[in-house]
Amino acid sequence: MFTGDLSGELIAFFILAAFTITGAVLMLTLTKVVHMVLSLAAVFIGLAGMYVVLEAEFVAFVQVLIYAGAVSILMVFGIMMTKHQEDQGRPAGRMPEVLGLLAAVSLLGILFYAIRSTAFPAAAQVEQAEDNTLEIGKLLFTQHVIPFELVSVLLTVAFIGAIMLARKETDE
Amino acid sequence: MGDLLREPLTWGHALIFAAAAILLMGIVLGFVTYAIYFERKVIGWMQLRVGPNRVGPFGLLQTVADVLKLLLKEDTIPRKADRVLFVLAPVLAFVPAFAVLAVIPYTQSLYFADLNVGVLYYVALSGISTLAIVLGGWASNNKYALLGGMRSAAQMISYEVPLVISIVGTVMLSGSMNLRTIVEAQSGGWFWNWHFLPQFIGFGVFMIAAVSELNRTPFDLPEAESELVAGYHVEYSGFRFAFFMLTEYVYVYAIAALTTVLFLGGWHAPAPFLAVVPGLIWFILKFACIVFFLFWLRATFPRVRVDQLMGFGWKVLLPLAIVNVFVTAGYIELFIKH
Repeated sequence: MFTGDLSGELIAFFILAAFTITGAVLMLTLTKVVHMVLSLAAVFIGLAGMYVVLEAEFVAFVQVLIYAGAVSILMVFGIMMTKHQEDQGRPAGRMPEVLGLLAAVSLLGILFYAIRSTAFPAAAQVEQAEDNTLEIGKLLFTQHVIPFELVSVLLTVAFIGAIMLARKETDE
Repeated sequence: MGDLLREPLTWGHALIFAAAAILLMGIVLGFVTYAIYFERKVIGWMQLRVGPNRVGPFGLLQTVADVLKLLLKEDTIPRKADRVLFVLAPVLAFVPAFAVLAVIPYTQSLYFADLNVGVLYYVALSGISTLAIVLGGWASNNKYALLGGMRSAAQMISYEVPLVISIVGTVMLSGSMNLRTIVEAQSGGWFWNWHFLPQFIGFGVFMIAAVSELNRTPFDLPEAESELVAGYHVEYSGFRFAFFMLTEYVYVYAIAALTTVLFLGGWHAPAPFLAVVPGLIWFILKFACIVFFLFWLRATFPRVRVDQLMGFGWKVLLPLAIVNVFVTAGYIELFIKH
């Protein structure tokens, strides 16, 4: 499996993977909401680094742009809407933990089995575009224009819905 | 620099890159030192004062003395602060501020990274500094600091949206997000080829949003002295406080350079007969004008009220930026494509 020589790409992958997984684990184990949100940010930045390794710069920096902002907002709401004076008691009981472990292990098993048993078709030789951002733009507005427009309609609907919900509350 | 970047990385090249980065760091630190000096001088003159004139000839060593004082100060961490985050926040604020400088092209051949998503790289990384400011405000465990951090998050995220959309017009005209290509699209010899004239709405929105992103007067609500003591960095002292200040001035450098590149034609001369002057000189001149403009704003504008701030960002700047995108698209469709 690991027959490839130790290239810079592989080293970068392992460093970023360790970074991302550490962030994810910390997110689950830390108890203060600000710490959790910060570990979430670490996960997103690690993923963005992964995209850079895969030469998907556009996705990488959009990831940072969107999620860095989102994480700041999440942090603000986390600070405003939680009580951080007292320590919230941990949920009692062993049962949820055992169930969670079971679910996680079975998910891992299913995913591992599926990945191992799938025969990946030889990657279609896509010509490595000089400017892949330009290519993404072209594809988005020619071949995939309908899904793209549908997504924008969906976002507009969500946006208007959010405004309606917020207005209803202020009217009362 | 360009040929060097395309060659395989050897230890020698790595050494050259590291040396170049350290050199840039030195230049930026020098800029920050004298930007603070000139800011105080310019504001002094505008208010009919003299400004700093005691330390060194004409007060030239004033900032050096100030920085020395900051570094010698006692480094305090409040007992009830969140120690780890309190220490982490200034670092997290400074690193993206310096990292965004990597994509700025100074001349045709002098640049650090030739990135095809240069514009996105800049705005994405500068968003991380917002996170650091909120973090610093929260970790201080002080209500003024927290209020400053909250204001900063609200303000910087609201103004990031029009900032990004105002750049879209420039990107459309140049057909690329690579900052070098954007500058090359503004060649043509005369200053009316630069993007600030065809993109005047975008330029206006960009400048206002940029000042707001910098947290400078008239948008310096996160650190409004009269209301919030000092905002998110009340509890910081000595070295860590210096880092927050440094971050702010490095962003002044970055925004001035970015504006020069996006809207003022980068290294191009304003008229063909002036092209004998090297491009770097033109870049520095335009850059200096923008830095001066920022100081001028600070000396002459009152602070925006906090409730007007959000309304202005969302109801005025954002629609203007979107209109700019539509007008640019229409212009390209009607006049350039055919």
